[in-house]
Amino acid sequence: MKIPYLLSFFVFHPIVGVIAILAISNRYKHTYKWINLFFTVCQVLVSGVLYALYDASSSSFQFVEKADWITLSLGNLGTVSIDYLLGIDGISFGLVLLTSVVMFIGAISSWNIDKREKAYFSLYLLLTTSITGCFIALDFFLFFLFFEFMLLPMYFLIGLWGGPRREYASIKFFLYTLVGSLLILIVMIGLYLSVIDPVESQLTQSMVHTFDLRYMTNMQNYLPDSILSLSGEIYLLGMPSRMLAFWLLFIGFAIKLPIVPLHTWLPDAHVEAPTPVSVVLAGILLKIGGYGLLRIAYPIFPDAANEYAFTLAILGGISIIYGGFNALAQNDLKKMIAYSSVSHMGFVVLGIASLTSEGINGAIYQMVSHGILSAMLFLVVGVLYDRTHNRLIDNYRGLIAPMPLYAVLTGVAFFASLGLPGFSGFVGELFTLMGGFKSAVLPTWVAALGTIGIILAAAYFLWTLQRMFLGKLWAKNQEDLVVLYDLDTREKWMLIPLGLLAFLIGILPNSLFQLSDKTVSQLLKVFE
Amino acid sequence: MFSKLLILLFLPLVSCLGLLTAGKKATIWAGWIASLVSFLGLGISLYFLQSSLHSPHLFSIEWFQLKEKSFTLSLQTDNLTLVMLVLVHFVALLVQVFSISYLHDDEGRWRYFAFLGLFVFSMLLIVLAGSLFLMYVGWELVGLSSYLLIGFWYHKPRAVWAAKKAFILNRIGDAGFLMGILLLIWLTGTSELSLLIPQFSAPTSSISDPQLTLIGLLLFCGAIGKSAQFPLSAWLPDAMEGPTPVSALIHAATMVAAGIFLVARIYFLLTPDALTVIAIIGAITMVMGAYRAIFQTDIKKLLAYSTVSQLGLMVLGMGVGAREASLFHLVTHAFFKAGLFLSAGVVIHAVHSQDMRQMGNLRHSMKTTFVAYTLCAAALAGLPFFSGFLSKDAILVEVFAWASQRGGIAYVLPIVVLFSAGLTAFYITKQWRLVFLPRPASEKAVHESHIHDADTLMKVPLVILSGLSFFVWFSWNPLDAAQGWVFRLFPTNFSHEWHVIVVICSTIAATTGISLGYICTFNHNIPPFVQQLGVVHESIKKTYEQGWNKVKHHFQVLREHDPETEHYLFLISPLQRIGTWLYHFDSKIVDMTVNGFAYLTVIAAHIVGRFDRMVVDGVVNGAAWLVQFVGSRTRNLQNGQAQSYFVVVLVGIIVVILWVLH
Repeated sequence: MKIPYLLSFFVFHPIVGVIAILAISNRYKHTYKWINLFFTVCQVLVSGVLYALYDASSSSFQFVEKADWITLSLGNLGTVSIDYLLGIDGISFGLVLLTSVVMFIGAISSWNIDKREKAYFSLYLLLTTSITGCFIALDFFLFFLFFEFMLLPMYFLIGLWGGPRREYASIKFFLYTLVGSLLILIVMIGLYLSVIDPVESQLTQSMVHTFDLRYMTNMQNYLPDSILSLSGEIYLLGMPSRMLAFWLLFIGFAIKLPIVPLHTWLPDAHVEAPTPVSVVLAGILLKIGGYGLLRIAYPIFPDAANEYAFTLAILGGISIIYGGFNALAQNDLKKMIAYSSVSHMGFVVLGIASLTSEGINGAIYQMVSHGILSAMLFLVVGVLYDRTHNRLIDNYRGLIAPMPLYAVLTGVAFFASLGLPGFSGFVGELFTLMGGFKSAVLPTWVAALGTIGIILAAAYFLWTLQRMFLGKLWAKNQEDLVVLYDLDTREKWMLIPLGLLAFLIGILPNSLFQLSDKTVSQLLKVFE
Repeated sequence: MFSKLLILLFLPLVSCLGLLTAGKKATIWAGWIASLVSFLGLGISLYFLQSSLHSPHLFSIEWFQLKEKSFTLSLQTDNLTLVMLVLVHFVALLVQVFSISYLHDDEGRWRYFAFLGLFVFSMLLIVLAGSLFLMYVGWELVGLSSYLLIGFWYHKPRAVWAAKKAFILNRIGDAGFLMGILLLIWLTGTSELSLLIPQFSAPTSSISDPQLTLIGLLLFCGAIGKSAQFPLSAWLPDAMEGPTPVSALIHAATMVAAGIFLVARIYFLLTPDALTVIAIIGAITMVMGAYRAIFQTDIKKLLAYSTVSQLGLMVLGMGVGAREASLFHLVTHAFFKAGLFLSAGVVIHAVHSQDMRQMGNLRHSMKTTFVAYTLCAAALAGLPFFSGFLSKDAILVEVFAWASQRGGIAYVLPIVVLFSAGLTAFYITKQWRLVFLPRPASEKAVHESHIHDADTLMKVPLVILSGLSFFVWFSWNPLDAAQGWVFRLFPTNFSHEWHVIVVICSTIAATTGISLGYICTFNHNIPPFVQQLGVVHESIKKTYEQGWNKVKHHFQVLREHDPETEHYLFLISPLQRIGTWLYHFDSKIVDMTVNGFAYLTVIAAHIVGRFDRMVVDGVVNGAAWLVQFVGSRTRNLQNGQAQSYFVVVLVGIIVVILWVLH
């Protein structure tokens, strides 16, 4: 069965919600969250349809939609051709599913936003569209557009609804990401100048430059004397141009991922952002870094990826350990979890750098798994913060007494994140590490670094559990004790499904692996 | 058979989930449900033992495929599995029945029995696992259930601390275990035992010896963690914070023995070098555990150190090639140590204290417990006619044989084993006398005089376990187990060369230990030569403490202060130190660099702004001014008068002519 314009609908239908929210007067502002919820539910349903229709046995792009968007003839310089090109393959599909689920949970979590609702919910839906678009766009230009467009809602969502240092955090987030996208932009232009569309060029008997990512991965489409040609004779800043371009892309995406030492925006942005925004930020935005590496940097510059595999893996290993140690040092629960994200995303880089089927499939799996688990962890923080407006670990002890269900679900989230078998975190870490050990381009000790991370994860999660949730009930501020009631229905509806999801994909990893396996095998053919 | 196996495996998990769902409503009947499940499991295991002994089975299902390579989950049953299945279910059943009475007034019983169900499930997974990967899954899950059960009384800070400590120390071992598995998968392409064994038995192996040694030792790390071997043994004594029946089941009989089971499973890939390291680690653990047990005053901690020591003995046995004898000791130890723990549980239940110095003369008020305890203690001490003697003897024979092959320094090992056997007899006799026999007039028991013995539910497991401490269950010959069923199930070339010597030596060691222990229980009548030993101990302790005091302040940062006992404890603090330091680095250096960049940019922007206003703008304004100046000066030339124009033209012509002529 083929449904026309399914992806376009998938990406753009939240815009209808934005318009509706903008059109409805502030007097009816209680409807905004329902509109928001409706459109995110809609997205979950459509992604369910996509899951049903997706053909896992094929490695190529599916549901492809293509339309000429901008075509400009520049005389001797050839023709600019920018397409509206959407499609899904194994690399993006897991993340697309993740996006719809996390945005839905985020919408529930936004329920008690109580200032400037109109702006908040319209920005939230706008963010939904741009994130989804980013995962689905197959034209570099279109991808970049969505990529940049995410910044706008994110900046305001942190800057207007955040905590005390929100201005600093949002500016920092914005500038960091902007620098990253600048680097990506440079490479994009370089690629554009080097790659031609073979079909169109044949038809029009002229050079038609293209932004189509599919053409960029085929090395026959590179002009022989262009700036990023395969000859490797062109040097920029003392480096072969293709190597430099790879590094620029890598740094651009590493900022998003984030990789140590480009990570310092993350703890600030997380700590200051309101709970739903933290959920989206950790749950999805970080994954765009990993996705960008797999979609753009690796297939377009396989030569450089091969050459620098060791360096990237080291960076991943450093992130795992550095993030773990930093998490151990935190007294702010949210910051602890933010640093644990740095550590867990390090596994993604390690897996990708290994250039093995296990490693890359594991990295995609780990991104989805971390998306679910970090969403859960930030919601856990949100529950406490909503009640007491305080989340310092040392301020509480024995929270299990007044809030048993909360403590149990926190325990589930913690154990799942520290890699307990049965939950998704375990499979993600296991397969990225397996890739690291198996890799032909990495020495074994790099992967062994990663296993230290699982010890650290046990240490910081269990220590927090011990200090905050177990033992005798005690709170630094006596008045906090009054408001510590257990989870309400809405909170249960966010945490329990996420926990179940982490459990399900943990014992049935095939549900995700079968989606990505074929595409990854295809991607790896270049490296063999 | 596969379906029965699955039922066997998942029955405890189902009961666990059921109890958790039922929650507090299940408090009253939770124990009976759990016991029933274990009883069913025991029945199925016995059926398996009877039906498929000597006919190993393997069941595997495909989990998923990656790049045409399939990842399977497999369960296997061989003799070892079948024996372990019966053992686990049997001890679990007894402990659960015991717990019904032991925890009869605890509100959290539903939780307790649910966690026990989870434990049995994960332990079965380890036992049944056909691949190291699946075994690792079970490995982590028993870690979780141990965490939950040690921290069962979660309002006690010390219990929670101990639970965390146990999990993290185990995790350190597990990281090594995982690394070993991944290396193995990398080098051989699989962690399925059924595929690995033929690969290694083939004469041409693709893996070099050092690599194989490394893999073997990394896999052994898992056993170091779980079986509390040196240097990760510190968690087991602390784990005694959990309920006593849990200590009996998990921290004496089954989970801690999983390490031994693991070594037995991977025995085919261990190289001689790896085995030597394993033997040495086992020996260190054995002696340290036995030595530390002597000085304990807490009834459970003494037993915990004793467990550490006995596990060390089993590991040592594995290291010297006595795989089957070690497994035998695992079985006998499981029974008598569980019996000892449950007896200790009855005592604690009655006296409401764990301090042995407050007990004494309990033999009349707790007759059954006294008898059970005595029998189990005799087995632990290694007296002839008891099970412990047989298994310890079997290991010792092999240790002697191992030493005689190597000669010289290798004889240290059998001597160390005999020595620690003596220590074992010493401490267990001391405990026995302290707790059950009358005290001398100079030292009075402090507990209340009204002591009740165990009720029936507690008595039955005790009686069964102590009954199993007799030799008859294992071999008809009270001094030699070579003809016993264990060695028929696990055939081995049992060497008889050293047997007589070993029987004599170990009997001497045990009796010496027992008599010394009996004499030295109370301070006033310690014979002079033991006092001299005590002096040696004191002086060692003193030098140690002096040395420690000198360097203490260097290490204090590595220790964590425990508010309850006012002691410094070593665990997370060193990691946290590094963490704090790195965070400092992160916020002061990395982040400051970023902020510094931003700041520099702003400064640069100001400079550029200044430049813009003064230089660029200045140039523009200057140009305007220049034009204006030139204009105002030359304006006078264009005054509209013909004469002045004529003069200008004339001057111009003259200048041109002069220039041309030149």
